[in-house]
Amino acid sequence: MIYLDNAATSFPKPPSVIRAVSDCLRLSCGNPGRGSHALSRAAAETVFSCRERAATLFDLSDPSRVVFTAGATASINTVLKGILRPGDHVLISDLEHNSVFRPLSRLAASGQISFDLFPTRFPPCQNADSAILSSLEGLIRPNTRLIFCTHASNIAPIRLPIRSIGAFCRKRGILFGVDAAQSGGHYPISMKQDRIDYLCLPAHKGLRGIPGAGLLLFGERPDLPLPETLTEGGSGYASFDPGMPSELPERFEAGTLPVPAIAGLSAGLEWVLQNGQEAIASAIEERVRRLGELLSGIPRLRIFLPEAEGLILLFSIDGIPSEAAAGELDRRGFCVRGGFHCAPLAHRALGTPEGGAVRVSPSELLTDAEAEAFAKGVRETVRLLRGD
Amino acid sequence: MTEYNEYSIFALIGSMTQAMRAERALACAGLRSEVVKATPSEYRRGCAYGILFSSAEERIAAEILRNARVRFRFFRRGGSG
Repeated sequence: MIYLDNAATSFPKPPSVIRAVSDCLRLSCGNPGRGSHALSRAAAETVFSCRERAATLFDLSDPSRVVFTAGATASINTVLKGILRPGDHVLISDLEHNSVFRPLSRLAASGQISFDLFPTRFPPCQNADSAILSSLEGLIRPNTRLIFCTHASNIAPIRLPIRSIGAFCRKRGILFGVDAAQSGGHYPISMKQDRIDYLCLPAHKGLRGIPGAGLLLFGERPDLPLPETLTEGGSGYASFDPGMPSELPERFEAGTLPVPAIAGLSAGLEWVLQNGQEAIASAIEERVRRLGELLSGIPRLRIFLPEAEGLILLFSIDGIPSEAAAGELDRRGFCVRGGFHCAPLAHRALGTPEGGAVRVSPSELLTDAEAEAFAKGVRETVRLLRGD
Repeated sequence: MTEYNEYSIFALIGSMTQAMRAERALACAGLRSEVVKATPSEYRRGCAYGILFSSAEERIAAEILRNARVRFRFFRRGGSG
């Protein structure tokens, strides 16, 4: 089997991550912040170390601004539903995942807020980053409270200029949230320099952890509004108070934390810090480039944004639904994802066909021989399904 | 469990995370402490955490915690000495 679906979840996990999860389950899986015995203290140490590593990777001074959630989707929901007030207006990009689009659509359908999409695709003669900022300038309203966007698309090699957007927001007093589900662990993100107020990430993609945990990082400016809580419950602190504590991170961590997943995330963060994000991204980009070269000559196959550098290759085959192509490739031992990747906005923006497109997202471990075998498999799949 | 020769200072902090921040801040300055739970007489709103350290380091610890922006309140606890 050749795994090419790292945009869904990274695989295989680094041995240090597997070891950390296993060691946690065997040796230190107490309930952190709920007791004072050795196992609880060991779990608390695991959890706090993970906060410190996340703060280091994403350039936060205070690890208590690192909140654990159930995943990036939970982080995004916490921000959108907890921050927005009746009458607020929001701008999101036209590449957003349903984890952003659906919560906002629900809030908008109930009449609480309104939102608009800002375009990210422009003719090649235009500087895309400047064009995005011009679009934002034209779309903001007096009641625009939040701009929320993905850092890197989950379907194509597109990255948004978050540093410029962050500066744009800060200058205008607009809150700025970033979905870094695809970029976290690959491309550098600085909460401070990118002026990010809310950063949302999963543990199990570029940060190399396992599913079950996510991160919500809060920026450090003193006037930053914190969301209302979506979940209340035990926090191991101030038990007689009827409300959640006001302090971060416990305010947003009701209930028992997924300590094994956090142990894995901590090891994954350490792996990323040791290997270097730029080196990791560069190695994956090189493999995507090689896959692009190998697939580019195949008749009736269209690669979207073939010239762009990124972690993902997206293609479609004329007249063939993407799921049929992905299914045939699966039978040949290749794990890729067809369909719409929970990102209908992005598919619309890119103009993919009615049958969706096939997403190929290798890891840095893909060998040249594996890339060639995949290209051969795609060539044969096209021939088989097209009947040419 | 750390044993202190003299009586100790308990710094009531609040949550486990803030208590660990406090412990790390002291450790960075070479001061040994440990995270422990507050007693009901030290904190009346339910569970809370803080750090325990030698009373000989009371003044320097207070300075370190203030610099680290950790909110605290000191209590004296009887030690083995």
